[in-house]
Amino acid sequence: MRSLQMTGTGGGFVPPSTADFNLPPIFGHNVYTTKPIFLVILSVVLVSVFFIAASRKAAIVPNKLQFAGESIYAFVRNDLARDVIGHEFMRFVPYLFTLFTFILTNNLFGIVPLLQFPAMSHVSFPYVLAIFTFVIFHAVAIRKKGLMPYLKEIMFMPGVPKPVYILLTPIELATFFVVRPLTLSLRLFANMFAGHLLLLVFILGGDHLLKGVIGLKLISPFAFAFGIGLTFFEFMVQCLQAYIFTLLTALYIAGALADEH
Amino acid sequence: MAADAKSDKPEHRGNEEGALWSIMGYLLSGLLIWGGIGWGLDHWLGTHFLLLVGLLLGGGASMYLVWLRFGRE
Repeated sequence: MRSLQMTGTGGGFVPPSTADFNLPPIFGHNVYTTKPIFLVILSVVLVSVFFIAASRKAAIVPNKLQFAGESIYAFVRNDLARDVIGHEFMRFVPYLFTLFTFILTNNLFGIVPLLQFPAMSHVSFPYVLAIFTFVIFHAVAIRKKGLMPYLKEIMFMPGVPKPVYILLTPIELATFFVVRPLTLSLRLFANMFAGHLLLLVFILGGDHLLKGVIGLKLISPFAFAFGIGLTFFEFMVQCLQAYIFTLLTALYIAGALADEH
Repeated sequence: MAADAKSDKPEHRGNEEGALWSIMGYLLSGLLIWGGIGWGLDHWLGTHFLLLVGLLLGGGASMYLVWLRFGRE
Protein backbone atom coordinates (compact mmCIF):
# COMPACT_ATOMS: atom_id res chain seq x y z
CA MET A 1 0.00 0.00 0.00
CA ARG A 2 1.21 3.47 -0.80
CA SER A 3 2.14 5.91 1.91
CA LEU A 4 -0.62 8.30 2.76
CA GLN A 5 1.43 11.46 2.36
CA MET A 6 1.48 10.94 -1.36
CA THR A 7 -2.23 11.57 -1.62
CA GLY A 8 -2.28 14.44 0.81
CA THR A 9 0.41 16.80 -0.42
CA GLY A 10 -2.10 19.32 -1.67
CA GLY A 11 -1.55 18.27 -5.27
CA GLY A 12 -4.24 16.51 -7.23
CA PHE A 13 -5.58 13.20 -6.03
CA VAL A 14 -3.57 10.34 -7.46
CA PRO A 15 -6.10 7.60 -8.08
CA PRO A 16 -4.98 4.11 -7.10
CA SER A 17 -3.67 2.11 -10.03
CA THR A 18 -1.99 -1.16 -10.86
CA ALA A 19 1.20 0.30 -9.39
CA ASP A 20 -0.39 -0.10 -5.95
CA PHE A 21 -0.30 -3.85 -6.43
CA ASN A 22 3.44 -3.98 -7.06
CA LEU A 23 4.63 -3.81 -3.52
CA PRO A 24 8.33 -3.27 -2.88
CA PRO A 25 10.41 -6.13 -1.44
CA ILE A 26 10.58 -6.06 2.34
CA PHE A 27 14.21 -7.20 2.58
CA GLY A 28 16.56 -5.33 0.26
CA HIS A 29 16.06 -6.13 -3.39
CA ASN A 30 15.04 -9.73 -3.00
CA VAL A 31 11.86 -10.04 -5.08
CA TYR A 32 10.85 -13.14 -3.12
CA THR A 33 10.27 -11.12 0.02
CA THR A 34 7.25 -9.11 -1.06
CA LYS A 35 4.07 -8.89 0.98
CA PRO A 36 2.01 -11.33 -1.15
CA ILE A 37 4.66 -14.03 -0.67
CA PHE A 38 4.61 -13.59 3.10
CA LEU A 39 0.81 -13.56 3.09
CA VAL A 40 0.70 -16.83 1.18
CA ILE A 41 3.16 -18.41 3.62
CA LEU A 42 1.15 -17.04 6.53
CA SER A 43 -2.04 -18.47 5.07
CA VAL A 44 -0.46 -21.93 4.80
CA VAL A 45 0.71 -21.73 8.41
CA LEU A 46 -2.66 -20.47 9.63
CA VAL A 47 -4.68 -23.09 7.77
CA SER A 48 -2.37 -25.88 8.94
CA VAL A 49 -2.34 -24.75 12.56
CA PHE A 50 -6.08 -24.24 12.61
CA PHE A 51 -7.00 -27.62 11.24
CA ILE A 52 -4.36 -29.51 13.19
CA ALA A 53 -5.58 -27.85 16.37
CA ALA A 54 -9.18 -28.53 15.42
CA SER A 55 -8.62 -32.22 14.74
CA ARG A 56 -5.96 -33.10 17.32
CA LYS A 57 -8.18 -33.75 20.28
CA ALA A 58 -11.13 -35.00 18.32
CA ALA A 59 -13.95 -35.90 20.65
CA ILE A 60 -17.41 -37.30 20.19
CA VAL A 61 -18.81 -34.11 21.63
CA PRO A 62 -16.77 -31.51 19.77
CA ASN A 63 -15.56 -28.29 21.31
CA LYS A 64 -16.02 -25.04 19.40
CA LEU A 65 -12.74 -25.30 17.50
CA GLN A 66 -13.34 -28.85 16.41
CA PHE A 67 -16.88 -27.98 15.42
CA ALA A 68 -15.70 -25.08 13.24
CA GLY A 69 -13.04 -27.20 11.57
CA GLU A 70 -15.41 -30.08 10.97
CA SER A 71 -18.09 -27.79 9.55
CA ILE A 72 -15.72 -26.47 6.90
CA TYR A 73 -14.45 -29.96 6.14
CA ALA A 74 -17.96 -31.35 5.93
CA PHE A 75 -19.00 -28.53 3.64
CA VAL A 76 -16.20 -29.22 1.17
CA ARG A 77 -16.53 -33.00 1.40
CA ASN A 78 -20.31 -33.25 1.18
CA ASP A 79 -21.54 -30.20 -0.70
CA LEU A 80 -18.63 -29.87 -3.11
CA ALA A 81 -16.90 -33.20 -3.52
CA ARG A 82 -19.60 -35.81 -2.92
CA ASP A 83 -22.54 -34.06 -4.53
CA VAL A 84 -20.58 -33.07 -7.60
CA ILE A 85 -18.17 -35.91 -8.26
CA GLY A 86 -20.23 -38.88 -7.07
CA HIS A 87 -19.03 -42.18 -5.64
CA GLU A 88 -15.32 -41.73 -6.36
CA PHE A 89 -15.20 -38.39 -4.55
CA MET A 90 -13.04 -39.38 -1.57
CA ARG A 91 -9.84 -39.40 -3.64
CA PHE A 92 -10.26 -35.73 -4.47
CA VAL A 93 -11.33 -34.37 -1.12
CA PRO A 94 -7.77 -33.58 0.06
CA TYR A 95 -7.06 -31.47 -3.02
CA LEU A 96 -10.44 -29.73 -3.01
CA PHE A 97 -10.24 -29.04 0.69
CA THR A 98 -6.72 -27.61 0.44
CA LEU A 99 -7.74 -25.52 -2.52
CA PHE A 100 -10.83 -24.13 -0.81
CA THR A 101 -9.20 -23.25 2.49
CA PHE A 102 -6.08 -21.85 0.84
CA ILE A 103 -7.97 -19.57 -1.54
CA LEU A 104 -10.50 -18.56 1.11
CA THR A 105 -7.81 -17.59 3.61
CA ASN A 106 -5.82 -15.64 1.07
CA ASN A 107 -8.91 -13.86 -0.18
CA LEU A 108 -10.00 -12.96 3.32
CA PHE A 109 -6.58 -11.42 3.94
CA GLY A 110 -7.85 -8.70 1.61
CA ILE A 111 -10.04 -7.30 4.36
CA VAL A 112 -8.19 -8.36 7.50
CA PRO A 113 -6.86 -5.18 9.14
CA LEU A 114 -3.08 -4.71 8.77
CA LEU A 115 -2.76 -7.56 6.27
CA GLN A 116 -5.27 -6.09 3.82
CA PHE A 117 -3.95 -7.53 0.62
CA PRO A 118 -5.39 -10.42 -1.39
CA ALA A 119 -2.45 -12.35 -2.83
CA MET A 120 -4.74 -13.66 -5.55
CA SER A 121 -4.83 -10.16 -7.04
CA HIS A 122 -1.43 -11.10 -8.48
CA VAL A 123 -2.35 -13.20 -11.46
CA SER A 124 0.51 -15.67 -11.05
CA PHE A 125 -1.03 -17.23 -7.93
CA PRO A 126 -4.34 -18.09 -9.63
CA TYR A 127 -2.36 -19.29 -12.67
CA VAL A 128 -0.50 -21.81 -10.56
CA LEU A 129 -3.71 -23.03 -8.92
CA ALA A 130 -5.40 -23.32 -12.31
CA ILE A 131 -2.43 -25.31 -13.65
CA PHE A 132 -2.83 -27.76 -10.75
CA THR A 133 -6.52 -28.19 -11.55
CA PHE A 134 -5.77 -28.45 -15.28
CA VAL A 135 -3.18 -31.19 -14.80
CA ILE A 136 -5.36 -33.07 -12.32
CA PHE A 137 -8.55 -33.20 -14.35
CA HIS A 138 -6.74 -34.18 -17.54
CA ALA A 139 -4.67 -36.79 -15.71
CA VAL A 140 -7.80 -38.24 -14.14
CA ALA A 141 -9.48 -38.48 -17.53
CA ILE A 142 -6.44 -39.98 -19.28
CA ARG A 143 -6.04 -42.56 -16.54
CA LYS A 144 -9.68 -43.51 -16.68
CA LYS A 145 -10.19 -43.54 -20.45
CA GLY A 146 -6.74 -43.66 -22.00
CA LEU A 147 -5.15 -40.81 -23.90
CA MET A 148 -6.48 -41.47 -27.40
CA PRO A 149 -10.10 -42.27 -26.47
CA TYR A 150 -10.12 -39.18 -24.26
CA LEU A 151 -8.87 -36.90 -27.02
CA LYS A 152 -11.30 -38.50 -29.43
CA GLU A 153 -14.15 -37.89 -26.99
CA ILE A 154 -13.19 -34.25 -26.71
CA MET A 155 -12.61 -33.65 -30.39
CA PHE A 156 -15.30 -35.65 -32.10
CA MET A 157 -18.87 -35.35 -30.97
CA PRO A 158 -20.79 -38.39 -32.23
CA GLY A 159 -23.69 -37.95 -34.63
CA VAL A 160 -22.40 -35.01 -36.61
CA PRO A 161 -21.69 -34.93 -40.35
CA LYS A 162 -17.93 -35.01 -40.90
CA PRO A 163 -17.41 -31.52 -42.42
CA VAL A 164 -18.92 -29.93 -39.32
CA TYR A 165 -15.94 -31.14 -37.29
CA ILE A 166 -13.87 -28.42 -38.93
CA LEU A 167 -16.12 -25.97 -37.13
CA LEU A 168 -16.59 -27.80 -33.83
CA THR A 169 -13.26 -29.45 -33.07
CA PRO A 170 -11.34 -26.20 -32.57
CA ILE A 171 -14.03 -25.03 -30.15
CA GLU A 172 -13.89 -28.26 -28.16
CA LEU A 173 -10.10 -28.21 -27.99
CA ALA A 174 -10.05 -24.55 -26.98
CA THR A 175 -12.65 -25.19 -24.28
CA PHE A 176 -10.77 -28.03 -22.66
CA PHE A 177 -7.20 -26.81 -23.03
CA VAL A 178 -7.36 -23.00 -23.01
CA VAL A 179 -10.66 -21.55 -21.88
CA ARG A 180 -11.12 -23.73 -18.81
CA PRO A 181 -7.81 -22.97 -17.05
CA LEU A 182 -7.82 -19.39 -18.29
CA THR A 183 -11.30 -18.51 -17.08
CA LEU A 184 -10.68 -20.34 -13.83
CA SER A 185 -7.61 -18.26 -13.01
CA LEU A 186 -8.75 -14.96 -14.49
CA ARG A 187 -12.09 -15.07 -12.69
CA LEU A 188 -10.37 -15.34 -9.33
CA PHE A 189 -7.67 -12.83 -10.22
CA ALA A 190 -10.03 -10.21 -11.65
CA ASN A 191 -12.42 -10.40 -8.72
CA MET A 192 -9.67 -9.97 -6.15
CA PHE A 193 -7.92 -7.27 -8.17
CA ALA A 194 -11.05 -5.23 -8.79
CA GLY A 195 -12.22 -5.61 -5.21
CA HIS A 196 -8.94 -4.39 -3.77
CA LEU A 197 -8.82 -1.49 -6.20
CA LEU A 198 -12.36 -0.52 -5.28
CA LEU A 199 -11.53 -0.45 -1.59
CA LEU A 200 -8.40 1.62 -2.33
CA VAL A 201 -10.41 4.16 -4.29
CA PHE A 202 -12.92 4.78 -1.53
CA ILE A 203 -10.61 4.66 1.43
CA LEU A 204 -7.72 6.62 -0.08
CA GLY A 205 -10.27 8.97 -1.61
CA GLY A 206 -11.87 9.51 1.79
CA ASP A 207 -8.45 10.17 3.26
CA HIS A 208 -7.68 12.68 0.55
CA LEU A 209 -10.99 14.48 1.04
CA LEU A 210 -10.32 14.69 4.76
CA LYS A 211 -7.20 16.70 4.04
CA GLY A 212 -9.01 19.07 1.69
CA VAL A 213 -11.00 22.23 2.46
CA ILE A 214 -13.91 22.16 4.92
CA GLY A 215 -16.53 21.34 2.26
CA LEU A 216 -14.57 18.30 1.20
CA LYS A 217 -14.04 17.26 4.83
CA LEU A 218 -17.81 17.00 5.16
CA ILE A 219 -18.04 14.61 2.22
CA SER A 220 -15.21 12.43 3.40
CA PRO A 221 -17.27 10.35 5.92
CA PHE A 222 -19.50 9.22 3.08
CA ALA A 223 -16.49 7.93 1.17
CA PHE A 224 -15.33 6.06 4.27
CA ALA A 225 -18.83 4.72 4.91
CA PHE A 226 -18.97 3.47 1.35
CA GLY A 227 -15.56 1.91 1.82
CA ILE A 228 -16.82 0.04 4.88
CA GLY A 229 -19.94 -1.07 3.03
CA LEU A 230 -17.79 -2.33 0.19
CA THR A 231 -15.65 -4.21 2.67
CA PHE A 232 -18.68 -6.30 3.61
CA PHE A 233 -19.45 -6.75 -0.06
CA GLU A 234 -15.87 -7.86 -0.61
CA PHE A 235 -16.24 -10.42 2.17
CA MET A 236 -19.07 -11.95 0.19
CA VAL A 237 -17.13 -11.90 -3.08
CA GLN A 238 -14.07 -13.43 -1.43
CA CYS A 239 -16.05 -16.37 -0.05
CA LEU A 240 -17.90 -16.80 -3.31
CA GLN A 241 -14.77 -16.88 -5.44
CA ALA A 242 -13.10 -19.47 -3.22
CA TYR A 243 -16.27 -21.54 -3.53
CA ILE A 244 -16.55 -21.17 -7.29
CA PHE A 245 -12.93 -22.10 -7.91
CA THR A 246 -13.35 -25.26 -5.87
CA LEU A 247 -16.74 -26.04 -7.39
CA LEU A 248 -15.41 -25.74 -10.93
CA THR A 249 -12.43 -27.92 -10.10
CA ALA A 250 -14.85 -30.54 -8.79
CA LEU A 251 -17.03 -30.18 -11.88
CA TYR A 252 -14.07 -30.63 -14.22
CA ILE A 253 -13.00 -33.72 -12.31
CA ALA A 254 -16.59 -35.00 -12.47
CA GLY A 255 -16.56 -34.41 -16.21
CA ALA A 256 -13.29 -36.27 -16.53
CA LEU A 257 -14.71 -39.27 -14.68
CA ALA A 258 -18.05 -39.35 -16.49
CA ASP A 259 -18.16 -41.82 -19.36
CA GLU A 260 -21.04 -40.79 -21.52
CA HIS A 261 -21.35 -39.45 -25.04
CA MET B 1 -33.68 -28.00 -6.76
CA ALA B 2 -30.52 -30.00 -6.53
CA ALA B 3 -31.93 -31.85 -3.52
CA ASP B 4 -35.05 -32.81 -5.46
CA ALA B 5 -33.03 -34.07 -8.37
CA LYS B 6 -30.91 -36.09 -6.00
CA SER B 7 -33.87 -37.76 -4.34
CA ASP B 8 -35.36 -38.71 -7.72
CA LYS B 9 -32.30 -40.51 -9.01
CA PRO B 10 -29.08 -41.57 -7.33
CA GLU B 11 -27.06 -39.53 -9.81
CA HIS B 12 -24.93 -36.66 -8.51
CA ARG B 13 -25.63 -33.05 -9.39
CA GLY B 14 -22.31 -32.74 -11.23
CA ASN B 15 -24.05 -33.24 -14.54
CA GLU B 16 -26.69 -30.58 -14.09
CA GLU B 17 -24.50 -27.87 -12.72
CA GLY B 18 -21.61 -28.86 -14.92
CA ALA B 19 -23.83 -28.31 -17.93
CA LEU B 20 -24.39 -24.67 -16.98
CA TRP B 21 -20.69 -23.93 -16.71
CA SER B 22 -19.83 -25.97 -19.79
CA ILE B 23 -22.32 -24.00 -21.84
CA MET B 24 -20.68 -20.75 -20.77
CA GLY B 25 -17.29 -22.19 -21.65
CA TYR B 26 -18.42 -23.35 -25.08
CA LEU B 27 -20.01 -20.04 -25.98
CA LEU B 28 -16.91 -18.18 -24.87
CA SER B 29 -14.44 -20.40 -26.66
CA GLY B 30 -16.54 -20.46 -29.82
CA LEU B 31 -16.37 -16.69 -30.02
CA LEU B 32 -12.70 -16.61 -29.05
CA ILE B 33 -11.46 -19.26 -31.46
CA TRP B 34 -13.40 -18.33 -34.59
CA GLY B 35 -13.32 -14.64 -33.79
CA GLY B 36 -9.58 -14.99 -33.33
CA ILE B 37 -9.19 -16.82 -36.62
CA GLY B 38 -11.25 -14.13 -38.36
CA TRP B 39 -9.19 -11.40 -36.75
CA GLY B 40 -5.95 -13.10 -37.77
CA LEU B 41 -7.14 -13.50 -41.35
CA ASP B 42 -8.17 -9.84 -41.39
CA HIS B 43 -4.66 -8.89 -40.37
CA TRP B 44 -3.10 -11.22 -42.86
CA LEU B 45 -5.29 -10.36 -45.83
CA GLY B 46 -5.85 -6.70 -44.99
CA THR B 47 -9.64 -7.06 -44.95
CA HIS B 48 -12.08 -5.85 -42.32
CA PHE B 49 -15.09 -8.14 -42.39
CA LEU B 50 -13.62 -11.53 -41.46
CA LEU B 51 -13.60 -10.77 -37.73
CA LEU B 52 -17.37 -10.33 -37.83
CA VAL B 53 -17.78 -13.45 -39.96
CA GLY B 54 -15.62 -15.39 -37.52
CA LEU B 55 -17.54 -14.16 -34.49
CA LEU B 56 -20.89 -15.06 -36.03
CA LEU B 57 -19.60 -18.43 -37.18
CA GLY B 58 -18.08 -19.13 -33.77
CA GLY B 59 -21.21 -18.05 -31.93
CA GLY B 60 -23.39 -20.19 -34.17
CA ALA B 61 -21.09 -23.19 -34.01
CA SER B 62 -20.82 -23.05 -30.23
CA MET B 63 -24.61 -22.89 -29.87
CA TYR B 64 -24.89 -25.89 -32.19
CA LEU B 65 -22.33 -27.65 -30.03
CA VAL B 66 -24.27 -26.82 -26.88
CA TRP B 67 -27.41 -28.20 -28.49
CA LEU B 68 -25.58 -31.37 -29.56
CA ARG B 69 -24.15 -31.96 -26.12
CA PHE B 70 -27.04 -30.93 -23.89
CA GLY B 71 -30.12 -30.32 -26.02
CA ARG B 72 -30.85 -33.62 -27.76
CA GLU B 73 -32.03 -36.39 -25.49
